[in-house]
Amino acid sequence: MVYRMCGDANLAEDAAQEAFIRAWQHLPSYRPRSPFRNWVYRIATNVALDALRREREKVDIDALPLATSDEGPETTVEGRERGERVQQAVLALPPASRAVLVLREYEGLSYREIADTLGVPIGTVMSRLNYARNRLRESLAPYLERL
Amino acid sequence: MTEHVTAWLGAYQDGELWGRRLRQVEDHLAHCAMCRAELERLRALAALLQESPVTGGLMPPERFVAQVGLRLPRRPERPAWQRTLEIGWQLAPLGLLGAWAFVQAVSVVTGVLLGALRMGLGGDVAARLLPGLQQGPWLAETFNLSGAGLNDVGRIMLRLLSNGGPLGWGITLNLVSLTVIGLLYWSWLGSWWAHRQVRTRLPGQQRIG
Repeated sequence: MVYRMCGDANLAEDAAQEAFIRAWQHLPSYRPRSPFRNWVYRIATNVALDALRREREKVDIDALPLATSDEGPETTVEGRERGERVQQAVLALPPASRAVLVLREYEGLSYREIADTLGVPIGTVMSRLNYARNRLRESLAPYLERL
Repeated sequence: MTEHVTAWLGAYQDGELWGRRLRQVEDHLAHCAMCRAELERLRALAALLQESPVTGGLMPPERFVAQVGLRLPRRPERPAWQRTLEIGWQLAPLGLLGAWAFVQAVSVVTGVLLGALRMGLGGDVAARLLPGLQQGPWLAETFNLSGAGLNDVGRIMLRLLSNGGPLGWGITLNLVSLTVIGLLYWSWLGSWWAHRQVRTRLPGQQRIG
């Protein structure tokens, strides 16, 4: 989730570690009114956004090359390129819309859970999700036509 | 044909519609090719997002856990006096409860003893040691509070002490002790609440967006 938010492996690992450390330090403040998972997601989302903000002040994060890995033979060049393009399109979204999209599409949270996690009304979740999907449909149109 | 339902298609695809709204969208989709095509495009986008692999070379989970463990701040060992103070602080309500029980016990025992002496069970000893018992209706006078203001409380206490003998002293000490215990308990409760507020505040927990 943090990686999908940050788009850079090193930045995401650092932010994810920071999120777990913060969660550990503030464990006494957790109240079981909401699920533990949502509480951790909330911390992780805030930490990821903080990390992105700091990084953006240092370098142009949009110009960062997306990290690559030692992929198996089944990963094609086209698949990698498509993955990178999707990741860039997600990263180009405003942070608030990106957080909603990542929590819905990659983490499978319900609208209610997203609303609780981010501290916004369900209507806001829906409008941000619609906005994010419309933006992605525009920026990923060439790939969507091929499907 | 009914109005297009494009605004609800995302929620429909996510399984977040119920009741009348769900039926409205389903009925509309059954007749509207344009909205069906729009729904297909949304499904294609979801599939594209799901199929896109994580391209970054993320570290293995074991290494990640080890690194988090290394970065966790070590809590410095606190001196013994500080630990003792903390334990004492946590046990303070129990101490106050004990003090309250002690005061009540003393009050009850004193009352029983004085009652016994008043009934003449102590013989001459009662008259010699506890002259206040012979002073008639001082208690009724002292507690005649009708129309008494807050300023009269001190006067009543003084009368209890001067005229009431051992019973007056007992009542006064009981009242003072209970007041002190009550004040201490509320002070402890207040500081415990303030301490809890500080601990539960999560720094940097802002609303997203």
